[in-house]
Amino acid sequence: MARSVTAPKPANLRKPRPPSKAKGGQTASYEAITETITSIPLDFPRPKTWWAMFAGALSLLGLYLLSAGMLFWKGVGVWGVNIPVNWGLDITNYIWWLGIGHAGTLISAMLLLLGQDWRNSLNRFAEAMTLFAVVCAGLYPILHLGRPWYFYWMAPYPSAMGVWPQFRSPLTWDFFAVLTYLTVSTLFWYIGILPDLASVRDRARSRTAQVIYGLAALGWRGEARHWARWRRTYRLTAAIAVPLVVSVHSEISLLLAAGPVPGWNSTVFPPYFVLGAAFSGFAVVAMLAVVLRHGLGLEALVTERHLDLLGKMTLVTGLMTGYGYAAEVFTAFYSGEPAELAVLFDRFFGVYAFAYWGAIICNFAPLQLLWFGKARRNPLALFAISLSVAVGMWFERFMLIVTSLHHQGIVSSWHDYVPSFWEWSLYAGSIGLFLTLFLLFVRFLPIISASELKSDLKATEVGHA
Amino acid sequence: MAVPAALSPVQDEARRRLGGKTGRRFWRALDELTGQPDFAQAVAAEFPTAFQGLSEPGRRQVLKAMAASFGLAGLTACSDQPDAQALPYIRTPEFMVPGKARHYATAVTGVGGYAQPVLGTTHMGRPTKLEGLPGHPCSLGAADAFTQAAMLGLYDPDRSQTPRFQDRPAAWSEFDAMLAANAARLDANQGEGLRLLTGQQTSPTFARQVSVIMQRWPKARWHVLEPINDDLQREATRLAFGRPLQVLPLLDRADAVVCLDSDLLGPGPSQTRNARLWSARRKAYQQGQGDHRLFVAEPTPSLTGAVAQDRLVTGYGRIGAVAQALAAELGLGIAPQGLTPREQDWVGQAASALVAVKDRGLVSAGAHQPAGVQALALALNNHLGSAVQRLIEPVPVPPPDGAASFAALAADMGAGKVGVLLILDANPAYAAPVDSGFIAALAKVPLSIHAGLHRDETARRCHWHVPLEHDLETWSDARAVDGTASLIQPLVRPFYAVRSRHVILENLQGRQGVDGREAVAQTWQDAWGGDFDGRWTQTLRQGFIDGSAAAEVKAAPVSSAAPGGTPVPEELELIFRPDPSVWDGRFANNPWLQELPKPLNTVTWDNILAISPALAREHGLANGDVARVTTNGQALEAACWITPGQARQTLTTFLGYGRRLPDQVGDGHGYDANVLRTAAQPWRAGGVTLAKAESKMRLACTQPSQALSSDQDLVRTVARDQATAPKPPKHQALSFYPQNTRDNKVTSPSWGMSIDTDLCIGCNACITACDAENNIAMVGKDMVAEGRQMHWLRVDHYYEGGPDTPTDHFQPVPCMHCEEAPCEIGCPVGATVHSPDGLNLQVYNRCIGTRTCSSYCPYKVRRFNWFDLTGKDSPELQAQRNPNVTVRSRGVMEKCTYCIQRISDARIQAKIEGREIADGEVKTACQQTCPTDAIVFGDVTDPKSAVSVRKAVTRDYVLLEEENTRPRTSYLARLVPGKGDA
Repeated sequence: MARSVTAPKPANLRKPRPPSKAKGGQTASYEAITETITSIPLDFPRPKTWWAMFAGALSLLGLYLLSAGMLFWKGVGVWGVNIPVNWGLDITNYIWWLGIGHAGTLISAMLLLLGQDWRNSLNRFAEAMTLFAVVCAGLYPILHLGRPWYFYWMAPYPSAMGVWPQFRSPLTWDFFAVLTYLTVSTLFWYIGILPDLASVRDRARSRTAQVIYGLAALGWRGEARHWARWRRTYRLTAAIAVPLVVSVHSEISLLLAAGPVPGWNSTVFPPYFVLGAAFSGFAVVAMLAVVLRHGLGLEALVTERHLDLLGKMTLVTGLMTGYGYAAEVFTAFYSGEPAELAVLFDRFFGVYAFAYWGAIICNFAPLQLLWFGKARRNPLALFAISLSVAVGMWFERFMLIVTSLHHQGIVSSWHDYVPSFWEWSLYAGSIGLFLTLFLLFVRFLPIISASELKSDLKATEVGHA
Repeated sequence: MAVPAALSPVQDEARRRLGGKTGRRFWRALDELTGQPDFAQAVAAEFPTAFQGLSEPGRRQVLKAMAASFGLAGLTACSDQPDAQALPYIRTPEFMVPGKARHYATAVTGVGGYAQPVLGTTHMGRPTKLEGLPGHPCSLGAADAFTQAAMLGLYDPDRSQTPRFQDRPAAWSEFDAMLAANAARLDANQGEGLRLLTGQQTSPTFARQVSVIMQRWPKARWHVLEPINDDLQREATRLAFGRPLQVLPLLDRADAVVCLDSDLLGPGPSQTRNARLWSARRKAYQQGQGDHRLFVAEPTPSLTGAVAQDRLVTGYGRIGAVAQALAAELGLGIAPQGLTPREQDWVGQAASALVAVKDRGLVSAGAHQPAGVQALALALNNHLGSAVQRLIEPVPVPPPDGAASFAALAADMGAGKVGVLLILDANPAYAAPVDSGFIAALAKVPLSIHAGLHRDETARRCHWHVPLEHDLETWSDARAVDGTASLIQPLVRPFYAVRSRHVILENLQGRQGVDGREAVAQTWQDAWGGDFDGRWTQTLRQGFIDGSAAAEVKAAPVSSAAPGGTPVPEELELIFRPDPSVWDGRFANNPWLQELPKPLNTVTWDNILAISPALAREHGLANGDVARVTTNGQALEAACWITPGQARQTLTTFLGYGRRLPDQVGDGHGYDANVLRTAAQPWRAGGVTLAKAESKMRLACTQPSQALSSDQDLVRTVARDQATAPKPPKHQALSFYPQNTRDNKVTSPSWGMSIDTDLCIGCNACITACDAENNIAMVGKDMVAEGRQMHWLRVDHYYEGGPDTPTDHFQPVPCMHCEEAPCEIGCPVGATVHSPDGLNLQVYNRCIGTRTCSSYCPYKVRRFNWFDLTGKDSPELQAQRNPNVTVRSRGVMEKCTYCIQRISDARIQAKIEGREIADGEVKTACQQTCPTDAIVFGDVTDPKSAVSVRKAVTRDYVLLEEENTRPRTSYLARLVPGKGDA
């Protein structure tokens, strides 16, 4: 990131009081908050940078469409997958994206219910990230099918032939879990953004913007009744969303854990996956926070304290994930199962050892810097550490999928796997899909929850009065 | 543009002609432009075929040609003239029921021209499957991989479909006219200059026709080129008995067999017979009858070596010395010096085993060993009084010149003594010894005619090429290795304008419009005399002629002195072997065989250079590294394969690859080993140098890991005295979970399979049978290299022990049909489910291709359609498909079904007849063809069924029992000598 460019700060920015624990940094007044946040979609501060990034994202999206087109045209064979490694980057990226899509709900819903007000500066874009990551993730299982045009057979619809999905399969539950998660996340995100859409509508100058934002705001007038109902709905949706944080990734882990595959078939998988997902999610939130804060001049709203807290969350979930790694190794040794041990040693020393050690090093080595407040509050350091975590978690998923499969079962069928160009291009393309959606979000929607920030400010003021 | 003033008269003329012309005009030479008659002559002389097109047609001619083309194009709408006896379906012919298969007993001529008897299945006139012919005295109901794959040969889209002259399509009438004129000329000079070149022939009709030709044209001659031949065996019998004979081992009587580089169970014409007899003896041994020991000394690992109890790895050149030592040990001749302790030990063991079993022992020397060594083996059998071999008159029709046959032809051709050369079903341009100079000599023959199935290397070099009928669409006859004659009857009328080889021989004599059936019937009419019709019909129904096996010849040994070979100093040597998949190259265009993993190394689509681990280390060679092998001034570059069990100083090269067949499937795979093969040294070349070349080749093998993992208890052995002990009752562990919920609901029949690893010789016949029965798609080399082969059944091969002298284990792995199948849990759409009769079913049209089933399958027997592998198949290949098996589309999973279509057939039949399905009524394709009866299938709920009997002994085990999948396919452990065994 270019550090030299800073956005002009709103003139009427007052020296604020810290929301809860006074720790320095800047906060803003009601008007300033609203002004800062709503001015972004209406009067985007850095259109040139945005356009440049959007062009890049769009070209990656084009690559995505090309790769998917190639895949649909020719078949899954364009990938490097084979028997026994019949899942490769497809399921790796599926789990990776879904993991990233985890932090949004965690930050929004769980922290909302727990009354952690600092989330208010982060929740909106974290939720958006969740949505887009789940979209990227959710497309993978469809793309990876041999006959993708029949993906709807996973859904329990009243077929004329009376056939239903096979309810013992973890994939069936995956389908439900991801769909539910996507629905609830969308609802939660949309309910949360309603008051802010109304603020944007009120400040919009062009007629088109007024109409579009007006329609999207669903006639929000800021009445007390609106607020009362809104608050109830919002908290209720949050309460529905919280179990999903646990269920979705637990469910995904069963895709692996339910199979009699050494290296997968382990009861530690559900918590291990949930924590790993939260870990990677927090890391990506931290990356986005650093970029948005810097790029859009939101230092007053996303303060160093937020970075500090994100750093702490990343560290905590990272250490928990580390515990999962240790538990996995321990379980393998404790069981003494030759097959489990063979997989473990293959992960340590086999052809895909780079993925195992890549995961260990990228996930946990730079992470240790987060013990230090200075590192947590330094945006650049936080960004770098988070990036390393995102890469590390990708390695982890790759390692889990490929090392368990390539030496699974009868030794005669062992075969290695090399991802093909079209797998990498689809992955790069999916990042393009994510960036495109996210850039559109940044450009056209209020990226921070102004209403919640203000109520937060109010609560502090009342508290001090 | 300025034109130079001074021009030659020719150029003047050219300018004159070009001047005043509009439009584009092309010219090739100034002479043409000037219309010099010399030019036309020169062109005609130099490019005879091009000259035809040179004379420019006028406007009228063009219009005429167009009119004719349109008219003729309309003619193509009319179908081929129907058979004289064909009738339309006004009434459905008796026995012709749509959906009901019909079976015909016939035979295909396999390698060496020997008959491989088969029972052909046709569906509505389309042949779809060949099975071993039950009751045949030689093949004993089994069929090898080559025979199974003959079905695909019939439908090969690359088959030659029309006569060609100068490599351009021609008409049969032109060919007939040419031969008629030729016959008249030959009549005038008694056939001077007429030569016939064929592969080895066993057909009585062929023999009759050749003798007819010889009578008419006494100066004509017939030559034989069979790249993999038994010439040295004939020579050996001549040394031992004074006359050429054929040796027929009777392995069902053998208690001890000593093989001196003799691959009795390996691929070849005798494989099914030997394997059947061997397994008959083996099964008796398993039941406790007598001893069954196999000693093998060999330079390169073979299937026989793989099942031997004691295998000695030693160079090809040392086999003679080992044979002499064995003879000395048995009291014949003097022991040679310089045997290694290991060789000495092996010889001692083998000798004592032979002595112990008295007349039930056999010494067998490979047909590619020097005649002296083979003669010594024959002498030893005489010495031991062995009753395990039978001597018969050679089954192939003997060519007049014997072994020198081909060399004589090449010499005569070079000397210009050959006027007309008819090459029938042979490919000398590819397979001739490199020093014969055949290709150069062929150019000197004024008229060369090639008749064959493919437009191969020879076809492209001959003036005429005419297409032959495939064995499954022709009338012919042939003899099996024991001499039993089969009638070859067509399963279908020829698809193309092709002729039978017998018809070609009649055509050669100027006779046209001959029917192939008549030619064959003529032969047998002569032989049988009266009651021809009855016997003919009965033979066609049965498939072979009763009592036609060659009688045993009682030959007295001419000398008791042991000839033997002179010990060869240990040097780097190169030996030539037929390829286990494509033999001498004749199957190169058959994808079922090309993609068949070669036994032991599992390489597909290529031949390799087998190199010992020690030598590879010395030269720094890894699998796939290209090595340069030089001998006698010739060199070849071949991809190495480090072969455990290969003699240290021996390189093995496999024939049959490096074919040049542009636009055909078999083109360009592997390397051509013939470039180092000379007439004098067809089996071994000394003075070899080996060097590493810089390049590396990607070899596609189906089993990259062949070392037995110590974690997996895949291959088990049981002491022989325990072989028949009943299986101990299974220990029931206490569990919270309800045990085996399905067990309460088991109904009869409930299917299961038992595979005896003690009987499996790794011949791969089962894989090919499965390919044919279940419409398995072939994927090509690249996909195999990526791990995407589609075989439903694989034969795993494992090495045990050190790389220099390993033990081999074979294990055929079809779907296990687990009772608690993980795949069934994984599938989200219920595309893989359990049937009431215990089968694990795959529902193709419900499958969406998540591949979870395969991820969860511990046996990795599931195969996925990564692309649309079948949609673009040519109509020929589509015609081959079994209509009772779904052709799988892109994106679905598939796997072994236990041949569910055969189960259904039997169930329907039983229901119609109001009875239960009898034991043995359902035979899976793999089981039917298995030459050793290693596979047994049946109802596991019936304690008397063959499969239940097998599963009841302690040898029975399942793969990965710890997974608790409860497979229905179980294995019988290999036997090792136990208490009371030597």
